Amino acid sequence: MSAPIRVLTAVPICDGHDSAINTINLEFIRHGIEVVYLGFHRYVSDIVRAAIQEDVAAVGISSYNGGHIEFFAEAVKQLKKRGADDIRVFGGGGGTITHDDQRIMQKRGVDKIFFAGTALTDMVEFVRERYARRPKRRATSDPEMKLARKLTEIEDSYANGKRAKKKIENRKPARNASRSDAGGSKIENTKVIGFTGPGGAGKTTLIDELVLRMLKRDPKSRIAILSHDPSVVGDGALLGDRATMINSQHDRVFMRSMATRGQAGGLSPATEDCLRLLAQEGFDYVIIETVGTGQEAMPFQSELVDQTVLVMNPDYGARLQLQKIVMLDLADIVVVNKSDLDRAKTALNEIERRLEQNRREQKLISTVAKRHRDRGVDELCDLLGRDVTARKKGKR
Amino acid sequence: MSKLGRVVEAVENYNEHVLAEVKRARSDEKFGREMLDRWNEIKRNIKTSTAPTGLKLPRLALPEIDEPGEIARFLLGDGLPGEFPYLNGAYREMYLEPWQEPPVEIGSYGKNGHGAKAKLNGNRNGQKTVAKPQQAEEPTRLFSGLMLAEDTNKRFHFLSAHQRSKRLSTAFDGPTLYGIDSDADGVFGKIGEGGVAVDTVEDMVRLYDGFDLGSPDFSASMTISGPAPIIMAMYIAAAKRRFGSDVVPKLRGTIQADIFKEVQAQNETIFPIEASLRFLGDMMEWTMRNMPRWYPVSISGYHIGEAGSTPVQQAAYTLSNGFAYAEMMADRGMSADEFGPRLSFFLDCGLDVEYIALTRVSRRIWAIGMREVFGAGPKAQLYKVHTQTSGRSLVAAEFRNNLTRTAAELMLAYMNGTNSCHSNSADEPFTTPSEEWIRLSAHSQGILLEESGIFKHTMNMLSGSPGMKAVERAVEAAIVEEFREIERLGGVLAAVENRYQRSQIQNAAHRYEQQIYDGTRPIVALNKYRNENEEMHEFELARTPRSKQQLQVDRLKKFKAKNARKAEAALDKLADIVETDANCFPALLEAVEICSLGQISERLQEVVGRFRPMV
Repeated sequence: MSAPIRVLTAVPICDGHDSAINTINLEFIRHGIEVVYLGFHRYVSDIVRAAIQEDVAAVGISSYNGGHIEFFAEAVKQLKKRGADDIRVFGGGGGTITHDDQRIMQKRGVDKIFFAGTALTDMVEFVRERYARRPKRRATSDPEMKLARKLTEIEDSYANGKRAKKKIENRKPARNASRSDAGGSKIENTKVIGFTGPGGAGKTTLIDELVLRMLKRDPKSRIAILSHDPSVVGDGALLGDRATMINSQHDRVFMRSMATRGQAGGLSPATEDCLRLLAQEGFDYVIIETVGTGQEAMPFQSELVDQTVLVMNPDYGARLQLQKIVMLDLADIVVVNKSDLDRAKTALNEIERRLEQNRREQKLISTVAKRHRDRGVDELCDLLGRDVTARKKGKR
Repeated sequence: MSKLGRVVEAVENYNEHVLAEVKRARSDEKFGREMLDRWNEIKRNIKTSTAPTGLKLPRLALPEIDEPGEIARFLLGDGLPGEFPYLNGAYREMYLEPWQEPPVEIGSYGKNGHGAKAKLNGNRNGQKTVAKPQQAEEPTRLFSGLMLAEDTNKRFHFLSAHQRSKRLSTAFDGPTLYGIDSDADGVFGKIGEGGVAVDTVEDMVRLYDGFDLGSPDFSASMTISGPAPIIMAMYIAAAKRRFGSDVVPKLRGTIQADIFKEVQAQNETIFPIEASLRFLGDMMEWTMRNMPRWYPVSISGYHIGEAGSTPVQQAAYTLSNGFAYAEMMADRGMSADEFGPRLSFFLDCGLDVEYIALTRVSRRIWAIGMREVFGAGPKAQLYKVHTQTSGRSLVAAEFRNNLTRTAAELMLAYMNGTNSCHSNSADEPFTTPSEEWIRLSAHSQGILLEESGIFKHTMNMLSGSPGMKAVERAVEAAIVEEFREIERLGGVLAAVENRYQRSQIQNAAHRYEQQIYDGTRPIVALNKYRNENEEMHEFELARTPRSKQQLQVDRLKKFKAKNARKAEAALDKLADIVETDANCFPALLEAVEICSLGQISERLQEVVGRFRPMV
């Protein structure tokens, strides 16, 4: 089985017409293509940064609000300027793009414009024929691009079956071992934090709010994010976290979206190797986000992860359910997000009592990540940043 | 239970009440007699219209029934036009030609029923009949916006040259819709595309130049939601600059400002939902108290429909959003009779069968909910609606067919008793409508309402066919079921945050596309009867020249330079007020005098955050 084609799709700035692209995304996924979806109302610079970090084969832009000639041309130009002109640009805009426009756009380096009435299957065919094999690429000195390409290599080698899938052992964790006490990361100066929790708990929003704070607190800090979305072998995936992570679309953030490609437990077969690579790249923080996980999941068995955060929704059901959530034993920090919900107070009490059984130092924090400047998120950010600051001081 | 849950109960109770009254009219002789007497009195008072051919017709058509139970079913379940529950019309006489002799029962009414002084018309429920103004405005309201303010202004004068009443509807360009200034990085190509560019109060002055904003014959509609409170403040400031402060209470028109549908479908939201709702509430409260003729929100299903929803989803989400706004205003301590009459609606009308009765059913549910749950009196029960024909139903292939599509949709809209209507231009699938096709689409309304005899002689001309009744029942049940689901999710806001409406709409849109591709949804000249030799038409597009875009940027920079010293203080003051619970609209009114749209939205975002998109 060969590695899936990865494309990035987006809707330009000042344009919210996402109906067409949503439908096209679904069609791509159905046909085995992995789609990194950046969302609507996006700047060219965001699209180009994301395309390079995600190392996609092509960028598909769906534009319905005019200004497409400039917008597409600017995307091509910026990719070229970064030396990433092997990442191709295509797109469409229903009836708003004329044939004359298309000619100009193609002259400026756009591969293809689809007009109104094009069958979805034709678009899929085009992407498969044109982008399945990537052109021979020039060597690059751009560190971000180098990193992105290495990550692709790792991911693809797993997909091509050249590396064996690592078996995740279902070993019972030692109850009293707290990794955060173990003297920090194996990699100096880089702190690796794993976020997990059930779907709908608000992990993505929480991480994005943390990133906003981390960037602000230290105007030089660099952050890497490894985000996961589910997929089965042979199918495509919608990698949509970038669309909601508005603060993480930033020049000091390197983000990579990965599909789980059939592996259960919240991560991809390639995650560990990708993480090992990222942890050596001098980021201040490396953040991993799992897909929404079930009760028995314990995704962060890696030695590389310094601290683990379990993000929960107050609506987990009856108290008894808490006994079954393995990560409640393992996580260093438990966050009850959406604590503006009615059930939050009860949930915090129940989880606090559940954590007491563990007899180890676990922190419990309550947040409302969707709320701007939320105190709980501030507190979490302080907690995660404390030992990094300490370590940095120690170095001097 | 949220107010929406109580609306569900109210609709169910009302339907049971109607059935009980039908039975009572049959079994209780005295009550049956009363029904018959009333029926006969209504029939006696119907005047006669004369068609140009000489044919005499009643001005009000009624079902041919003479049995008390059926009379009760009609009068209570449907209502006469202008009577609760308003299935047959929010007003009496809607599109009818004026009656020759002054009719006794119609008093003096405000324009278009807005702020109407309704006269009592004895009715069992103690309900008032709301009648339409005698000399109504044309229901035509045409949408326009292109390039810079002066270009749109010119188009407005062209469009309204022959109209007695000037009803302008304004489309804004992308940067304006997202509260971004024209001089921001990366938006240059978008300036003046798809709508008019407005950055400052000075643009707003230019936009409506030459129109008498305080005149009772003028009304402006502005299609913008994300930054609506800022644009509203600019409109008021521009009006004050031209006509002085006295003009404010006279201003008529509407601003879309519907944040819920933006999050559910149209994606033009710039602040987090709760902050957006607060700014909207501040603006609504201020305008409701100071501008009695303004509609500060247009609760819109149009964009929900255009994003691909089913008609039932469109009606259900629009109504439930409306009830959520009503709840918000009630929570601010306003009475339903204060805010109810200032709410209006905007629906899409396509070709699906539901559209035979979608607006009729919406009007009924709204009236019942407002009366029973919010305690609204007659004027606050009315679902006043502007309809636009469906843009999504139009296709580029053999585009002249779009005239037929639009005509059929227009017919459906008027069958539903829409208060005003925009008919789309056939060239819309590829471009900002050109004058030729705009003229054709505007004339289609005249042909339907004035040339043809369908709507001008008789109220209820097409209401109440057995098929229409069947659609009404099916649609109402489906809308109520959607309400139940939203209620199960914790009400409108909770459902929005769980992206319930969004995913429902997306699923429907996907199904619609699939149906076109597999042919189960026939689209003439696209997937059926296709002309293989047809070449795509090349059009002259109304693109904004670079020189104009540059002019907009230069003007904005000049404005910013001129006000640089004072702007910062105004923004600080605004930010301070936003940090409190006070109404921030007065501070916005001050800020727009010296700050641009982008400066204000950026500062507000610093305080309340940016909208986090949902996918």
